[in-house]
Amino acid sequence: MKRGLAAVVTLSAAAALALSACGSSKNSVSSDGSTTLKLVAADYGTGPDNSSQKYWQGIADAFHAANPKITVKVQSINWNDFDNQVQTMVQNHQYPDITEGDYFANYAQEGLLYKASDVLSNPQNLLPVFAKLGSYQNEQYGMPFTTSSRALFYNKKLFAQAGISSAPQTWNDIQTDAAKLKGLGKIGFGLPLGSEEAQAESLLWMLGNNSNYQDGNGNWTIDSTQNVAAFQFLKQLVGAGDTEPNPGTKNRTDLWKQFAQGQIGMINGSPALIPIIGQGKVLTDADWTSVPIAGQSGPLQTTLGVCDFAAAFKNGGTSKQAAIKSFLDFAYQDKYQLQFDKEYDLLPATTSAADALASDPTFGPFLQALPKAVQYPNSPAWANVKAQIQHTIGTAVTDDPKKVLGAIQQTAQKSS
Amino acid sequence: MAVVLEAAPGHAAARSAARPGRRRPRPGRILLALTAYAIALIFVLPYAEMVISALRPSDELLARGYLPRHYDFSNFTSIWRTGFGSNLGTSLQIAGGATLLVLVVALPAAYFTARRRFRGRTVFLLLVLATQMFQPAAMLVGVEREFVSFNLPSPIVSLILVNAGFNLAFAVWILNAYFSSIPAELEEAAMVDGATRLGALRRITLPLAVPGIVTALIFTFIGAWNELLVGLTLTLGSSPGRRPVTVEINNYIGQYSIDWGHLFAGSVIATLPVIALFALIEGKVVGGLTAGSLK
Amino acid sequence: MAEQSTVIGRGDGKLRSLARTAYPLVWIGPAIALIAVVVLWPVVVMFRTSFQHISPDGFVLGRAGWKNYTDLFHEPDLRGVLIRTAVWVVVVVAVTMLLSVALAQLFNERFPGRRVARWALIAPWAASVMMTSLVFRWALDANNGVVNVFLHDLGVLKSFNSNQADWLGRPVSALVWMMVVAVFVSVPFSTYALLAGLQAIGEDVYEAARVDGASRWRAYRSITLPLLRPAFLVAALINIINVFNSFPIIWEMTRGGPGYTTSTTTTFMFQLKQSYIGESAVMSVLNFGLVILLVLLFLRATRWKDQVD
Repeated sequence: MKRGLAAVVTLSAAAALALSACGSSKNSVSSDGSTTLKLVAADYGTGPDNSSQKYWQGIADAFHAANPKITVKVQSINWNDFDNQVQTMVQNHQYPDITEGDYFANYAQEGLLYKASDVLSNPQNLLPVFAKLGSYQNEQYGMPFTTSSRALFYNKKLFAQAGISSAPQTWNDIQTDAAKLKGLGKIGFGLPLGSEEAQAESLLWMLGNNSNYQDGNGNWTIDSTQNVAAFQFLKQLVGAGDTEPNPGTKNRTDLWKQFAQGQIGMINGSPALIPIIGQGKVLTDADWTSVPIAGQSGPLQTTLGVCDFAAAFKNGGTSKQAAIKSFLDFAYQDKYQLQFDKEYDLLPATTSAADALASDPTFGPFLQALPKAVQYPNSPAWANVKAQIQHTIGTAVTDDPKKVLGAIQQTAQKSS
Repeated sequence: MAVVLEAAPGHAAARSAARPGRRRPRPGRILLALTAYAIALIFVLPYAEMVISALRPSDELLARGYLPRHYDFSNFTSIWRTGFGSNLGTSLQIAGGATLLVLVVALPAAYFTARRRFRGRTVFLLLVLATQMFQPAAMLVGVEREFVSFNLPSPIVSLILVNAGFNLAFAVWILNAYFSSIPAELEEAAMVDGATRLGALRRITLPLAVPGIVTALIFTFIGAWNELLVGLTLTLGSSPGRRPVTVEINNYIGQYSIDWGHLFAGSVIATLPVIALFALIEGKVVGGLTAGSLK
Repeated sequence: MAEQSTVIGRGDGKLRSLARTAYPLVWIGPAIALIAVVVLWPVVVMFRTSFQHISPDGFVLGRAGWKNYTDLFHEPDLRGVLIRTAVWVVVVVAVTMLLSVALAQLFNERFPGRRVARWALIAPWAASVMMTSLVFRWALDANNGVVNVFLHDLGVLKSFNSNQADWLGRPVSALVWMMVVAVFVSVPFSTYALLAGLQAIGEDVYEAARVDGASRWRAYRSITLPLLRPAFLVAALINIINVFNSFPIIWEMTRGGPGYTTSTTTTFMFQLKQSYIGESAVMSVLNFGLVILLVLLFLRATRWKDQVD
């Protein structure tokens, strides 16, 4: 009897707590004129110590000190789940105010976003080469926040052990080198086609065969003959055991960590892989290096330039617009751009920051390659296409590439 | 989420009659016992692995061995810095709120159904039986869009309602069985002695039904505490602190390519209240499941 | 106990009888309201949504007629998903019930330490299904999972990071392991339900059988099993519904991948929801229909109606 009573009493107390849950999270502009902004950012970090949450919280705190009436609540989400979660937020009408991460065109299409000129005092400072990418119907909505470019990283120590004397330059090289590395009991080529960033890896191989997701006129060419051929090559590579098994279930970050442990011979990476190698404490600087991505007949002249966008949601009327503008002007200052780039080994998105880095030995060369870099499609259909690529393209290297790519092509055309 | 159980108040007497006195175990018994121990071990093994993994230092996380060379408790302390405490609080709010709501709603319904044969009683019972078959997973799109359109002040309120609603049928069913088996004469006798119906209910019937009530409430609490799918759907837009524990643990996946250390530490912590609650009702689980009302 | 009198004075008439009919609602009203709002209304919403044209961001753009339905039925993965769901439910429930019958019998016997052994069985019940799935996923890791370490020690596994070690990367082995986990988390409840059923049977029935000279096996077949039938059917039905609706196991272990080759109807619906809400609603409708169908078939096959109060 006593125990039962105790249970009931405890539960009542819990319920009282529950009522306090009705503490409203809806009204972000309260009567004293203070505003709360919700910022949702992708996490570029590799561990709790350099999580992007910390970076943004630092900016938010400094901003709050300078603008006591505006509070910015920061939430960072890992790349695996970023799209899904932001999408769910939007579906549930729990709009963020500012996002920093990924595509934006579909939100612009629904009229959910502010124009860049509405929320930035100086939108011309954003790197012009990405302005078109950030536009929907000739109006800029996506504000580039950070960029990166890709290169082929390989483990020189393992190469030496396997008796490989030169860097891989063609697909053939990759195949032969990977086979030799397999003989050592290592993974020859790390191929991440899992849902984290399958779209990037796929594009690198498509570029290697002189093709892309779209042609120069914006038509979808996902199942072009060259793309299918590229995946036929990959299928053969996987089948021969020259990569890790079942690439469709393996993600970039996991494979990068394995590369840092010295278990993988070759992998496509970005400068962001460098700190991961450092943290692995297995490879020294002399043990690895990076070269241009290998193409079918030679190294690529242009690389993949990935640009991540910030976007501002129209959510709460014009009262928030001023606050958002104030915050974004603050956050886009050169010092914060440079802090971000140094933290994550990525590239800036503003002209002023890029100029400041132009002479830096590590970043300079990547910055020079940027203007020529290839980018993802900026069509509103990209959201659906990307989701499908992430989820299904792994099967193109175990199943029939033509069928899988054809299905994605259909989605692209259906959503356009 | 909800589970159907045909329950009756503890038919303790119906359990196998205990033979008094000790006997030396026969070889057959020993074999039996060993088999049972082996099976019990299999069921506990995965959770032992969970605890062990939570105790691995980060440089031994990917090592290939059964046990780590050093034990490191830091996951259990550092997890609080990620705001895990507020997640526990949120889960408590949701589970507690749902349980309270179920209590308030199911008790009168079950009592009345047990005592009176009113018109529509069969329909009501069939409705209860039928809805036990429904789980949120089967109707997720409907649940999501409905609660989004309600525009409630917080997803936590939505989760309280959803968890309560889906566990209600089971609670009514169990309580109905319990009340039915408490003879009405007891209340009659009390009322003859001058008590009101409500007074008789409070002083006679409720105390006798406490085991059933507690069982029903605890099943509801545990169901709400461990619920994942609806929580995942409705709380993604909330700040991390206002998400239930299950959703937050799910988010450790993909975070830095799976933060196993915190994932397992969080799981261990989140399981403790459930074990405590199970301990409360362990004796009654078997008794309460006695097929008394299964005809 | 005094039934409410059904004799009404003619003069009181309508108001009184209305009050009498409405009176139960005071007691059961809130329950009906909660069920109606939380459990029943979403069904309506679900049906309605399946006929709407909805943007991926959740905005209703108009009516879609049957388009969502045709779109869903033209999804190339649907067929595989449906077949897989059927296999999933049948295998998991069958294995669970068989194991539970055996385990219930075992744990019904008297032996030292029985109580502790029974306690151990509660572990999967107390830990959420999600956590159990995560532990298994961890243990099956191709690089360093305990299962692979064990198999390597036994000499069965040649090398780590190989295709053989990548249990969750291959669709068939992934499905098998997920079924193992499903059985693992379903057995405790079924065992306890059957245990309760066994204990309700009581000793004297067996005494009588033994006196009549029946062997243990005969007694089991002719007495235990038939008396256990109600508990068995209840447990089986609950299992079928739980397994059919199971989400955390598949989601946490493979997310339904690679591609959709380990998805069941429930996870497929969840994936669709990200981009195609209308189709997802149709999948929901389909799921719902399948549950009802399963339940009706089951009730029919076991002539349940005779057993309800």
